[in-house]
Amino acid sequence: MNAKRKRPVSAVFLLLLTLFTVNEVAAHGERAQQAGIRMRTIHFFDIEIYPRTLKVNEEMTVKGKFIPSENWPDHLASTEGTAFLNIGVPGPKFIRLSSSVNGQPMIRSTSFQEGELYEFEMTLKARNEGEYHVHPVISVQDAGPIIGPGYWVTVETGTAPFENHITTLFGEELDLETHGLSNTIFWSSLWFVIGFAWFGYWLFRSKLPIIMPRYKLIADAKDADDIITRQDQIAGGVCLALCLSIIGFGYLWAEDKYPVTTPLQTGKVKTPLIEWDKHAVAAELVKAEYRIPGRSFKVEVNVTNTLETPVRLAEFTAGGIRFGNPNVRELKPQDRHDLVAEAGLIVVNEQIEPGETKSVVFEANDALWEIQRLTSLIYDPDSRFGGMIQFEARNGQRYPVEIGGAMLPLFN
Amino acid sequence: MERISTVNERKLFLTLDILLIPVLVILFMGVFSFHFALTVGDWDYWIDWRDRRWWPLVTPLSLIVLPGVFGYLLWDKLRWPLGGTITILGLSSAAWVSRVWNFEIFAGFPLNMVTPSTYVGLGLMLDATLVITKSFMVTGLFGGFLFGFLIYPLNWPIIAPYHLPIEMDGTLMTVADVMGYEYIRTAIPEYVRIIESSTLRTFGEAVVPLTAVFAGFLTVLTYYLWVWVGYLTSKPTWIKKIV
Repeated sequence: MNAKRKRPVSAVFLLLLTLFTVNEVAAHGERAQQAGIRMRTIHFFDIEIYPRTLKVNEEMTVKGKFIPSENWPDHLASTEGTAFLNIGVPGPKFIRLSSSVNGQPMIRSTSFQEGELYEFEMTLKARNEGEYHVHPVISVQDAGPIIGPGYWVTVETGTAPFENHITTLFGEELDLETHGLSNTIFWSSLWFVIGFAWFGYWLFRSKLPIIMPRYKLIADAKDADDIITRQDQIAGGVCLALCLSIIGFGYLWAEDKYPVTTPLQTGKVKTPLIEWDKHAVAAELVKAEYRIPGRSFKVEVNVTNTLETPVRLAEFTAGGIRFGNPNVRELKPQDRHDLVAEAGLIVVNEQIEPGETKSVVFEANDALWEIQRLTSLIYDPDSRFGGMIQFEARNGQRYPVEIGGAMLPLFN
Repeated sequence: MERISTVNERKLFLTLDILLIPVLVILFMGVFSFHFALTVGDWDYWIDWRDRRWWPLVTPLSLIVLPGVFGYLLWDKLRWPLGGTITILGLSSAAWVSRVWNFEIFAGFPLNMVTPSTYVGLGLMLDATLVITKSFMVTGLFGGFLFGFLIYPLNWPIIAPYHLPIEMDGTLMTVADVMGYEYIRTAIPEYVRIIESSTLRTFGEAVVPLTAVFAGFLTVLTYYLWVWVGYLTSKPTWIKKIV
């Protein structure tokens, strides 16, 4: 085969190679965010999304908890400013029927206090068939979206086309998929017709050709305005009168048809705080090191248990990755992209007795540090980390505690 | 026209018409769409952004740019009072294509949530005033004012059905608010919407007329600015410098 014949074959081969070797894309660019920011902003936990398989028109619940970090970077706008509970899906494949945080409807923006516990719940209704990675998202004004853990959801064809009806305060039922569309098309078309008629008048008011003869005429004329005839001005007058009449008529028609309307609604709501014993178990960071060759994050903390029951360190979460202590809690990935290191947590002195203060050392080891690009923390200009430890009592009660501080890399 | 002396010249001029007029229209579609997307953008994309204060103020200020510049050029060189009409027809046509293709078919939003507003009437009034008065001064004062003043009433028949009140979780909403909330836009959280919010300066319920008068006044001023830019660009010195 000569060189010329080889080229198309190579091109086809490259194309096929591209088609069959494309890596799966991470859903919403989570890994693109700076590691330090992912670890020190919002700690999501207990995320539930159910059902994971549903049909068009069926409803799905997304619920969970989050704690805005007390180690929030100073240079980054915080949830204590303005924030919004959002949902990460690829466009309106679902519609959002309701959302709330600590029982407060989250239709509008709000603010969340650092170090406080928030419980959220959203109800979505499936609109389009497909497989979607669904995340809770907290959007923070001037900072951006902070993306929570996501799960794959499959939407199958329903028994009926998607419907979305709503009732106004006057009792009128509207179909939000089509409401007002024919009306918009009518008014827009009407103006298009008048606009093209005006354009056509000036194109064809004299013999063809149009541009050059007219250009020459004006260039040579003593007073170019003389080219505008009385007929042109009458046409202009008719056009102006017609426009004003239609605008006036349209406005009065709309006022008559919709006598009661309200302005667009906005504003910020206050989210109530929930009672929780945030100081039942306290943890103070002593030292944190990340050993690069072993992908191992080693942390020493002084833990104080003020409860009347012993607690054990069950889980460590950082940047959305969960490391479970297999001696206390068995973590299993719920789908192929669930960020769970099943037995990734090794804990020394895992149990803290009632009233005791002791040093606890744990290691969180997994390739997920690399895969999720959290190791890029060592290249951040502010090499500080944040994470959440969950302690668990014998009765199953859990106590989330945030830790954060300086992290030292170990290169060998 | 008696100046066409030969058959060949006529053919040449006809060919020029056939080439130049569609190119001009397509140029206006592209340039105006780009300019409008950068300056007005979401206010025109989403039905829940068309409020009483910002949308009717920002839109005419951006919308008057091309009618001002090209309106001067078309009037100066051809005595065509078409600058407002053609540019806005181009913008509106491109907007409809984009909303159907990009927003509805590709992104999946219901078309009624993303239909463009109508502005053709504004361009028509500007051009009609110009041909009646043959004066940019009077066109600016009268046509420019109408351009800014009437944008809200012109679109009210389209917008009104989306301002019907609805109750959702104990909160008063409009139909447009509900659509904005329900049809998920992950990249547009609620606080991103730049719409009217209550201030101590609000004159009771008279937000619309006050905004309309202010928009009309500002449009008069900006119309003159853009006509002046059109005048500058029409000078042959630019071409001489480039050549």
